[in-house]
Amino acid sequence: MAVVVLLPSLLAGEAGGRNRFELDAATIGDAVRALPVANLVLDERGELRRLVNVYVDGVDVRDRDGLATPLAGGETVRLVGAIAGG
Amino acid sequence: MSVVVLLGTRKGLFLLESDAARREWALEGPHLPGWSVFHAVVDPRDRTIHAATNSDVYGATVHRSADRGQSWTRAEELGLPEESGLTLEKTWHVEPGRDGEDGRLWLGCAPGALFRTDDGGETWQPVEAILGHPTRERWHPGAGGMCCHSIQLDPDEPERMYVGISAAGVFRTEDGGENWAPANQGTAADFLPEPFPDVGQCVHKLLLHPGRPGRLWQQNHCGVYRSDDRGESWERLEGNGLPSGFGFPLALDHRDADAAFVVPEVGAENRVTCDGRLGVYRTQDGGSSWELLTDGLPQRAWGAVMREGFSSDRLDPPGIYLGAQSGSLFVSADAGGSWLEAVAQLPPILSVEAAEWP
Repeated sequence: MAVVVLLPSLLAGEAGGRNRFELDAATIGDAVRALPVANLVLDERGELRRLVNVYVDGVDVRDRDGLATPLAGGETVRLVGAIAGG
Repeated sequence: MSVVVLLGTRKGLFLLESDAARREWALEGPHLPGWSVFHAVVDPRDRTIHAATNSDVYGATVHRSADRGQSWTRAEELGLPEESGLTLEKTWHVEPGRDGEDGRLWLGCAPGALFRTDDGGETWQPVEAILGHPTRERWHPGAGGMCCHSIQLDPDEPERMYVGISAAGVFRTEDGGENWAPANQGTAADFLPEPFPDVGQCVHKLLLHPGRPGRLWQQNHCGVYRSDDRGESWERLEGNGLPSGFGFPLALDHRDADAAFVVPEVGAENRVTCDGRLGVYRTQDGGSSWELLTDGLPQRAWGAVMREGFSSDRLDPPGIYLGAQSGSLFVSADAGGSWLEAVAQLPPILSVEAAEWP
């Protein structure tokens, strides 16, 4: 079963205006790497950028297994920029 | 023919357009909303706009537009190799290659990195000789990070180019980027124990005069300098009309290799324009003397102009463009003699580049 991935506005702008993706992924890392904005969410080492938060059904993946967090299907994955900036 | 000015701001890219008189300006944008545009430039070879774009959250990248900002494509491959132990922090400056070097551009980044593309900006490869430079352990970041902000190509010698990195100094290659020699003799680093080291200088902006290729100018953390020998030696130029040697921006007059423009600030610990005004200082004698230009500029201001916030065009007389942190762009259509405020209340301006548009 697919998961739903929701993007914030800047990332949606970079994805051609699309803020909702449905895709098949076994882990959070697979889901993020399948996005057309993967290189904005992950750095060149493939690590989640420090100020990008990823929530699976409301739970921060950093409190689980990070990018290795498994997905069973049916979850909603929300990407959120941390509260930072000027 | 029109003149298009690219204004990179903390919150996107704006375009201003005028005819050759450069008195009435039409504003367009913002493009790339949400991105901090550290620098944007029109590649004169194909009219593609390239923008060094940064986000506090989503990192550093480069966008390009082949349709004057209507649509944008992001670089696919841009990062530092794992063995370097470094990750990309910021993109700072895009420099198009020469005529005949199709698809080649250069990109200056932090931490102390130079990239090259040969496919018009789709993929960027780091220049290994900068990344692994033998003096690198003596480079240190300035307040803006360890940024490679100046890239200058010799118009006549295809293998010769220069970069400026803060705080590493000026480096010159004579072999297309395989080897880089420090070019800092005579430039001060007052913040280091040894005031005249071979590397470690905090160059703020470096420009090569297009009509006299051996002549370089630099605005440094510690003074304004001119070199007439490709950076082999430098002459310090303040104390003869300049109120301070500290500042960031620098602009040149393409017609006259002896002319340069700077916007001095009080000093490193008080980074505001001198004497409570926004003053441009111009030399027309190679830096022997400097005159204050104020006609049309704010007479009461404690401003700041970023290192990329000042540039000139190639018309005759050249237009000079000054983008302030206050969000105003000031334009002089007569090489600095008089100025007008072309636009105000933009986000803080980070970069200014002017291009002729057919």
